[in-house]
Amino acid sequence: MSNGIVIIKVFEVVGSKLCVASSDGQKVHDQIAAALNAGKDVRLSFSNVESLTSAFLNAAIGQLYAEFSEQKIRGSLSVADMTTDDVELLKRVVEAAKQYFKNPNQVKKIVGENLGG
Amino acid sequence: MKLALLPIRSDFDGFAQLTQLHAQVRDVRFETLELDMSGATWFDANMCAPFGAILYKTSRSLNTVKLENLTPDVKSILSKNGFLMNYGVAKSADVYKTTIEYKRFEAKDERYFAAYIEQHLVGKGMPKMSIGLQKKFRESIFEILSNAVIHAETKLGIFACGQHFPKGGRLDFSIADLGIGMKENIKKKRGLDLTPEAAIKWATEGNNTTKTGNIPGGLGLKLLRDFVTLNKGRIQIVSDAGYWELARGAVTTKRFEQPFPGTVVNLEIKTADRQSYCLQSEKNLDNIF
Repeated sequence: MSNGIVIIKVFEVVGSKLCVASSDGQKVHDQIAAALNAGKDVRLSFSNVESLTSAFLNAAIGQLYAEFSEQKIRGSLSVADMTTDDVELLKRVVEAAKQYFKNPNQVKKIVGENLGG
Repeated sequence: MKLALLPIRSDFDGFAQLTQLHAQVRDVRFETLELDMSGATWFDANMCAPFGAILYKTSRSLNTVKLENLTPDVKSILSKNGFLMNYGVAKSADVYKTTIEYKRFEAKDERYFAAYIEQHLVGKGMPKMSIGLQKKFRESIFEILSNAVIHAETKLGIFACGQHFPKGGRLDFSIADLGIGMKENIKKKRGLDLTPEAAIKWATEGNNTTKTGNIPGGLGLKLLRDFVTLNKGRIQIVSDAGYWELARGAVTTKRFEQPFPGTVVNLEIKTADRQSYCLQSEKNLDNIF
């Protein structure tokens, strides 16, 4: 058993080269979150993935910013096997996620929703 | 009940006719709707998506829909893409393979939808788009679908249809839903009471989002807008009574007299576009997070 990096293959988790549905992104998110919660470093491989959407990446990665600090994500999560334009899309998703969780009204609403408000 | 349609094109007037049609049948139950199509001497195939959405809604209200006096040309278009199968006409062969079949999906059918797009965009006489353009186009369609699935709250499904025009170097694709529409969604989720056209503008700009949970949003329509601007294509969005169009880099908005019962996104792509959509092998994976 290794304490090294956990490699999560997006293609394998989703079972398709088309990573477009938010519900599929959620499956990837759950894998990443479980590994980060266990104190592991994660490498997310996009090998063989052909199509990505912001909806998928928001669910898979964007929502991590609600649960983990930026510092934790930056220190523990890396991506591999991604084309440049997919990297650009991911960067936009990450920037938008950071902004989203900075918005006090948004956070208030999230807290309200979580409390059933 | 007898109604008639005039030519239906992918433009404000085409949508205006469909919104008028919806207004006339909205409250009708247990009727037979005989739609005289003799005046519809032209029908842009992608407009089957919003047209089909309205007719489906009408049928779900326990009405019988009949399309009558179709002109031979329009009948040929609408039977090739499978639209008329819903109204008793068999699907005819698409010899030149230029149609993207008319389909209705449930919101939970995202994977089935993805397979449909793959099936219709790969090979089969579809436009010889560059690999980068094809990827962007496909992803744009998925962004529109995700938007409908996430925001529309539709129980009646999502309708899609497309057409390739090889001579014009153009591919048209439409996705329609019978959801709550952008105006109502923004009002409900963000408390903003916008006009129907201002609601579409709001949804297509910057990082605006109606998402409030742990999953962020707000990029889909902006990405679509960026891509279509680069491609010099066109997007039309109809939601509630609002009409929003991006063409040649400029946005115009208008208002219909009657609302569309959901949202429609029409995408027109220039298929001969040879720009690089930056599919490069050089990777910069630093500083993402």
